[in-house]
Amino acid sequence: MAATPAASANAAPTITLHHVNAMPAPTWHRLRVNETGVEFPADLRAEPDVQVEAPQELLGEPGAFETALKRLEAHLKSTGELAAASPAGAVADPLDQPALSAFQAASATVEASGSLERAFETGMGSEAFAYLREAAGEPVVIATAPGQQGARAAVRVRGVDGAASAAAVDVVAAEGSDVSVSIALDSPEPGAGAVGCSLRVFAGRDARVSITSTQTLDPAWIALDDTGMMLDERARADVRHTVLGAGQSYTGLAGDLRGEEAKVAVDTRYLGSGARELDFNYELRHHGAKTESAMNANGVLAGASSKTLRGTIDFVRGCKGASGQEVETVLIADERAANRTVPVILCGEDDVAGNHGATIGHVRPEQLLYLASRGLSPEAAEQLFLRATLEEAALSAPDDATRAGVARLGRALLEDFEEEIA
Amino acid sequence: MADEHTINQTPETGAETLLSVQNLTVSADGKTILHDVDLAVGAGETHVIMGPNGAGKSTLGHVVMGDAAYDVEDGAVVFDGIDVTDLSPDKRSRAGLFLSFQAPVEIPGVPVSSFLRAAAAGREGVGDLKGKQFRKHVRELAGELDMDPAYLDRELGVGFSGGEKKKLEMLQLLLLRPKLAILDETDSGLDVDALGVVSRGIDAYRRTADGALVIITHNTRILEHLDVDRVHVMVRGRMVAEGDASLVARIDEHGFEQFEQAAPDAAPDERAEAAPVAAAC
Repeated sequence: MAATPAASANAAPTITLHHVNAMPAPTWHRLRVNETGVEFPADLRAEPDVQVEAPQELLGEPGAFETALKRLEAHLKSTGELAAASPAGAVADPLDQPALSAFQAASATVEASGSLERAFETGMGSEAFAYLREAAGEPVVIATAPGQQGARAAVRVRGVDGAASAAAVDVVAAEGSDVSVSIALDSPEPGAGAVGCSLRVFAGRDARVSITSTQTLDPAWIALDDTGMMLDERARADVRHTVLGAGQSYTGLAGDLRGEEAKVAVDTRYLGSGARELDFNYELRHHGAKTESAMNANGVLAGASSKTLRGTIDFVRGCKGASGQEVETVLIADERAANRTVPVILCGEDDVAGNHGATIGHVRPEQLLYLASRGLSPEAAEQLFLRATLEEAALSAPDDATRAGVARLGRALLEDFEEEIA
Repeated sequence: MADEHTINQTPETGAETLLSVQNLTVSADGKTILHDVDLAVGAGETHVIMGPNGAGKSTLGHVVMGDAAYDVEDGAVVFDGIDVTDLSPDKRSRAGLFLSFQAPVEIPGVPVSSFLRAAAAGREGVGDLKGKQFRKHVRELAGELDMDPAYLDRELGVGFSGGEKKKLEMLQLLLLRPKLAILDETDSGLDVDALGVVSRGIDAYRRTADGALVIITHNTRILEHLDVDRVHVMVRGRMVAEGDASLVARIDEHGFEQFEQAAPDAAPDERAEAAPVAAAC
């Protein structure tokens, strides 16, 4: 683990994960959005409380993800879609090379390596990935057979007081198969600590993967939800992140649309209340031609909560005909709430279509007047925004256990919450 | 300002006064836009406010509801015996006032069902209905208005047509059952079918809540099936005429020109000082 221990005379010792949710191409440092650090109590022990619900035949062997990655790498090299590694020392005189930014240089190095293992990354970055994998222990492997349809699995990670409770999950969807995986990060018992999930997804040719992640931790907990995806030809991944709780919540996702016509759609719903801090990083990298990506985030910030969302669409040279879009709608229900949205589109290819849009704003006076004319005070209006987000999360929860987690969090925030969704 | 809990009677109908707007002068951005407006509406009555575009009809509705975009320079709004001039809109709503908006807003992320539940919370008759009971009641009301219950799961106003938005306004009217409802050009931009639904909503409100209505319109079609008690005409921020239901037919035949000619056309600040115009009926 690369985490850095730190301690001062008056504070309990802590460790810090660095470069968490780092943007691939940094912007102005003074904006303080390029990356973040996650600080933990140093004495958090690793104690996973993980429940897995899946038919036995869906549970695969460790190493399935690496095997799938190597197989794809070999295939892409055989078709010339992935270059063989450049021999060492083959680089021409540096003075003959164009000047590259740090991002371009790092990206060129990875591309030149010809290694999908090196190219694969997760949204939260390598330190967080290593921390979660170490805390989780042996990964849960969910692997479909070619052509298998309707496969479903659920992974529930529950907080353990004074511990880091994490799951490591590898999803390997074979060619033409279809699998849905729901992940719940919950804290049914009081306590404090870290709860997380490290998820790797390989979607084979024509496979379809659906990931639903719901985080309903109480404010004393830190949430770490880290995902990396690799998609082969015509594979499709639909991801739903519902982030409702935790004092500090970190969510990262990196997707590599490697095969032609691969598609990724990410739908993020979040709720900031109290003094919660939410931090997101999404990176969708288009390698294959005619690949498509969509990021849609919709959230409410109330109280003195703060949120940073970075969304990067990277059109790598060669992804002709690719398209990507990112849209965010943020409703800021309290003057004290702080929002930062950083949409980035990187273009290394001319023949692409990328766009981003954001609707960010405080509740407008005419909206408040309308609500007031129906008897809602400004405080009641803020409660309505919280309630609406929680109700939607409860009604769209993938299973009863996740729904129960939303209801528990809802009860802590609002009176009569459970009654409303009964 | 009127004393609290003053109860009097509307001079025209003899009904107990529910809403009393007294010498109301209102400005926005430093410009006077309503001048010494008086209006008295009795319990259970139906009043109509008509006038050409820009007469101040919608402004009056918003001021009665407590829209903070307007400054009350003089006068008072008394509702159900209570001076509400300084009350916030939410308190006026809880007191029994309702304003149907000419252009209802959209609020992304807030499902209609959640909004209705919050609006109904704590109100007599519907506030104590629990989850399933409440949803059943709302669906029944939606059925009365030929409204697809699927709209209840959609985000408030988002993607609604003009007619659907007005149906939702009517649904709220039936759900909240206010003592007095101001319908601000609820009929504008509606086709015949949607107009029929709105009329049905108004009928149902009168039948079930026995509430008073103030209908702001410059179109007489919505009034065809209503028993109108009083008609008021506004021109350039003033009440210039008042009469019984026969005034509607007269306006239908001759338009507003007669009233516009009679209204003072001095500069805004000067108009505030002008003498009231005599009633036309």
